[in-house]
Amino acid sequence: MELNYEFMADTFFKLFHALPVTLSITFVALLAATPIAFLLALARIKKIKYLQLPIKLYISLVRGVPMIVQILVIYSLLPSLLNYLFKELNISYNIFDLNTIWYAYIIFTLSTCAMLTEVFRSALQSIDQGQLEAGYSVGMSTWRIYLRIIIPQALVVALPSLCNITVSIIKNTSLVFMMAVKDITAVGKIAASYGYNYIEAYIDVFVVYIIICSVVQILFNVLEKSFGRFRQRVLSN
Amino acid sequence: MRPFEPHLIPDFMLDILPYLSVTLGVTLTTVVFGCVLGGVIAYLKLFGNKLQRLLANAYTYSMRCTPSIILLFIVFYGLPKFLIEMFGYDINDFNRAFFVIITFTLLFAANISEIMRAAYIAVDRGQYEAAVSVGMSSWQAHYRIVFPQAAVIALPNFGNSLLNLLKEGSLAYTVGLVDLLGAGELIVARAYGASALEVYIAVGLIYYGIAIALEKICLHLEERFSPQKIVKV
Repeated sequence: MELNYEFMADTFFKLFHALPVTLSITFVALLAATPIAFLLALARIKKIKYLQLPIKLYISLVRGVPMIVQILVIYSLLPSLLNYLFKELNISYNIFDLNTIWYAYIIFTLSTCAMLTEVFRSALQSIDQGQLEAGYSVGMSTWRIYLRIIIPQALVVALPSLCNITVSIIKNTSLVFMMAVKDITAVGKIAASYGYNYIEAYIDVFVVYIIICSVVQILFNVLEKSFGRFRQRVLSN
Repeated sequence: MRPFEPHLIPDFMLDILPYLSVTLGVTLTTVVFGCVLGGVIAYLKLFGNKLQRLLANAYTYSMRCTPSIILLFIVFYGLPKFLIEMFGYDINDFNRAFFVIITFTLLFAANISEIMRAAYIAVDRGQYEAAVSVGMSSWQAHYRIVFPQAAVIALPNFGNSLLNLLKEGSLAYTVGLVDLLGAGELIVARAYGASALEVYIAVGLIYYGIAIALEKICLHLEERFSPQKIVKV
């Protein structure tokens, strides 16, 4: 099969210009979702009344509805809703000037938050209750025990799942071209349709995603080793 | 703002629901082919020589890192061109479902091979040895003792993968397959974008319903086939 190698090489480097978009969506989603998900996980563990059902419903909705449908629903809802709100509140900002990447941030934060809640919940529950009691017995406050004792241990437990979630967010960001956000896939698509070089462009995109995901997995491996160091220390003592 | 008309959602759901057969058909076909291919890959990972193991693992790894939509585009645009130029065989007028099934078979096989491998390893080696020691052949020991136990172990992960497959399957509309989401898009397009929100919510609710049903079925099966229950009977 004849491939246009020159085009492939050109496009391959063009795709890297779109890398910040893909990565920024991933990072914003992870960073914004982490505190919320942590609180939701605590609410689940502490079995706080009136919050159980909404959280469960939210998680199962995110888990049950395809990402693309989530994107389509929110992208057809948010802009006009915000426009309406702004008009009501007499804010003169034209919402349709807003960069669509903001909607991507919102959507991915929402879905990441649901995934993280489950991960945090199981990670926190995997830590022995005795750790909390031991902390109390030496006079630490609850806040301190969480920060210094429970979270560092839970994080090590959660890291493999966090890695999976990060990879799946990166993969899912390939859908943001639906919202006219110029991520890697979108740039590939545009390059492809310019000269009908579909296969070449998509093979490039395929390779770029494999590179990104590999780097992410390597980073998480390093993190796991350095966060998990205390385990070896405890064992060797 | 165009008013939100929730009373339209049930109507749209009824309009879209007939296309559930397309989504389920594609999904089930994919599962069948995916399990066969996944089985072969799992076999290579477990019993293959060094090269075979390396290839199988590389395959799984690259599929894990690929967004489904990219693979779908590669198969959809690449396969017809490849077959025409290599074998002079024209598949451009094939049904879109054909390309969708190939794509998702490739993806699902990678997942399922990993699940099968893990489940096979999780069954205690002693089970196999015990079976052989009472005079079963290797095939019998696998077929009657190891595989049933591995299947139970694999069940939760299998359910998860199936749900993912079903959800990812909604991407098929991007290459023009009229499944649940494709039918929704047609309704939206016919009304020039009006009531898009209601249609998408309707599609989302149908998927949500399927996901919940699937989850319930999986839980039921897990309970039904849990070792304690079987031993008690």
